[in-house]
Amino acid sequence: MILRNSAIGLAMLLASTAQAAEFKWASTTDPQTMDPHAVNSAPVLGFLNNVYEGLVRRGKDMSVEPALAVSWEPIGDGEGWRFKLREGVTFHDGSSFDAQDVLFSYQRASGEASDTRSWFAPVSEVIVVDDYTVDIMTTAPNPLFPSSIANWMIMDQDWTEANDAVVPDKETGNYATINANGTGAFKVTEREPGLKTVLEPFDGWWGDVEHNITRAEFNPIQNPATAVAALLSGDVDMINPVPIQDVARLQQNGEVDVIQGIEARVIMLGFDHEAEALKYTDDAGNPNPFRDARVRKAVAQAVNVDAILATIMRGNAEPASQLVSPAMSGYSQVSSERPAFDVEAAKALLAEAGYADGFSFGLKCPNDRYLNDEAVCQAVVGMLAQIGITAELEAMPVRNYWPELREDNYDMYLLGWSPGTFDAEHPIRFLVATPNEEKKLGSWNFGGFSNARVDELLPMIQSELDQTKRQAMLDEVTQIYQDEQVYVPMYVQPLVWGTRNNVELTQRPDNFFLLRWVTVN
Amino acid sequence: MFAYIVRRMFQSVIVLLVVGLVAFSMFRFVGDPIDNMLGQERTQADIDRLRTELGLDQPFVVQYAKFLRGAVQGNFGVSYRQGRPVSTILVERAPATLELAFVSGFLAITMGIALGVFTAIRRQGIAANVIMTVSLIGVSLPTFLIGILLIYVFSVELDLLPSFGRGETVMIGSWSTGFLTASGLKALILPAITLGLYQMTLIMRLVRSEMLEVLRADYVRFARARGLSDRVINFRHALKNTLVPVITITGLQLGSIIAFAIITETVFQWPGVGLLFINAIQFVDIPVMAAYLMLISVMFVTINLIVDLLYYAIDPRLRVDARAT
Repeated sequence: MILRNSAIGLAMLLASTAQAAEFKWASTTDPQTMDPHAVNSAPVLGFLNNVYEGLVRRGKDMSVEPALAVSWEPIGDGEGWRFKLREGVTFHDGSSFDAQDVLFSYQRASGEASDTRSWFAPVSEVIVVDDYTVDIMTTAPNPLFPSSIANWMIMDQDWTEANDAVVPDKETGNYATINANGTGAFKVTEREPGLKTVLEPFDGWWGDVEHNITRAEFNPIQNPATAVAALLSGDVDMINPVPIQDVARLQQNGEVDVIQGIEARVIMLGFDHEAEALKYTDDAGNPNPFRDARVRKAVAQAVNVDAILATIMRGNAEPASQLVSPAMSGYSQVSSERPAFDVEAAKALLAEAGYADGFSFGLKCPNDRYLNDEAVCQAVVGMLAQIGITAELEAMPVRNYWPELREDNYDMYLLGWSPGTFDAEHPIRFLVATPNEEKKLGSWNFGGFSNARVDELLPMIQSELDQTKRQAMLDEVTQIYQDEQVYVPMYVQPLVWGTRNNVELTQRPDNFFLLRWVTVN
Repeated sequence: MFAYIVRRMFQSVIVLLVVGLVAFSMFRFVGDPIDNMLGQERTQADIDRLRTELGLDQPFVVQYAKFLRGAVQGNFGVSYRQGRPVSTILVERAPATLELAFVSGFLAITMGIALGVFTAIRRQGIAANVIMTVSLIGVSLPTFLIGILLIYVFSVELDLLPSFGRGETVMIGSWSTGFLTASGLKALILPAITLGLYQMTLIMRLVRSEMLEVLRADYVRFARARGLSDRVINFRHALKNTLVPVITITGLQLGSIIAFAIITETVFQWPGVGLLFINAIQFVDIPVMAAYLMLISVMFVTINLIVDLLYYAIDPRLRVDARAT
């Protein structure tokens, strides 16, 4: 009898808290560490955004909003930025947050062993003004600095020191690799690397709680078919990503929803701009045609992006004209046209460049990096054949792909780029600027494209405070790289998540999944 | 006997060393771990620094020697992906694989023998023919497909069993077991069937053909003539005599159940060493790959060594030869 009463009581308790819910989600990759400064990769930073917080954070629309800093303003004529910190914030272990933690996190995140230190390249010094004021001095005026540190997460100095994790250790790991102590809305209560990670809401969080989750469990599921089955059977409430070929089937199913959006990642073709000669296939040793802008333009006109999107991406992506998508700041409105698909015009360009009879070359492509990447490359090969140039495709896993590109073993290649700062300056710095090891420029400009005007404009863009002038310079650079057809941007990669139909969430273009916006009905 | 054991042990060590050498010479074709370890904003200097730190700039023979030095002391290095000692990770993951292998091995043996005997005795029956036909499908369908099919039938359509994972586990010392919870046992069913199906059909067919052979033997006819009951003939005399080759095959198959659990573990996201190995390949996690391959080869070498020693104990001719030479 007592048992029955307590069972009824329990049922009533459950009914009264019907709002609260457990939540399980799955993704293909397990975040490899819980240390926010050790690895600069989307799975790690996306996951840890639930646990740690930075001075600023990004909202549902990617706009920068206050987090651990309540406000910020430029110092003088752009010598740096002053951040006013939020008072009364505590870490998950109960210790309080203040300016010392910011200084410490700067030292930790910008140190030699940290993977995030490129974010702090413009920083000359961090000064603690008082307990809740921090000045971050930059070597040159840096209007975008606050938005560039949205993923710089603040750690507690005492906790890190007590647990011997002052320096991030990627190679051998330390306490912070499997434990976390942030200020965020969720705390890590269980962590079994590669198996599951359990998060629970942090009662002492400073923000307004929008979610109704009592416990959240993350499981990595590598096999896409298994993930889809887990979603359909209700074993998990959300999966990311849904394989493109399963989208239509899941949409028919009444129990699950497919949530689609556009990721920040632009997929493009790249060329070797430097090599004197072609490296692959029958014409190996012949002069490299891709050094001629007309040939690159012919390629751009020969690729039928709409057909690729309709067939391979099944209508889930958008064509791209630039190295960033229209959702990013600094997108050039005046250059939003992409070269029209026109086989005859492309052939004419080739003839003009002296390749009326075509040529053959090698196209390198990853087969496990971007959505349907190998299929896209195969389509490109077919389309280029129509203008008489023969690509020999070699597709490989991404773990072999980057070393090949670094060693210049390609004539043409496929690349996807997601701007970490969500600004048009980012791909210019990494993909268009002349490679310069010392200045850390052009580190992904494998083809070695070089343009003096771009190199001249880049530092000016980086330090220009006036938005109109800055946009004018960005427009000019965009114009240059479009005229030169440095790359052939094809499309913006889609984001496809699947959820049970009782789950509401927010999908951000950076593919970060934030639990604080999840409601389970 | 002692000299024989020493000689076989010595040979085993050489096999292990060669396996390791071949493995290390292959790793650079698997890919480059550096890009997985550094973010998009890395520079060439970062790449070079990390490569030197990990010793990847050295020839594979030097890397192998370094690995061996550590391995002899029980230190398999630190996983590139997880940043934790490989030995810790292996100890964490081993129970999942061993429990799965044990259950599917058990299923394969009991079901295999039972069905084998049944189909041998009722050779002409409809049921026996159905079983034989279905078993053909079991042998010819790839494990991957069987796993996905089972998931769709039993977890998506019927919603009876979990689609992935191991359920709740209980720690006994450092051994995590799924045998003690309801969800753990439920989670075991589908992967165990998937993994054991091939072995089961193999054993079933073996038992059946051996059994048919034995049932034709003179002593069975004699037993029948004596008026012994079918039960006694089939199970006491015939079955016992079919089991000798079955035991040999089963012993060898046990090794492959553990080693080839990789596919089943991937389909069911089963957190064992096979899944760990697949992840390690994707990430080019060289220390984990090296340790796994060495572990598997130690296992196979040990099983073969035991088999050889058993033969030596059983077969007197080997001993005579040893003395003669």
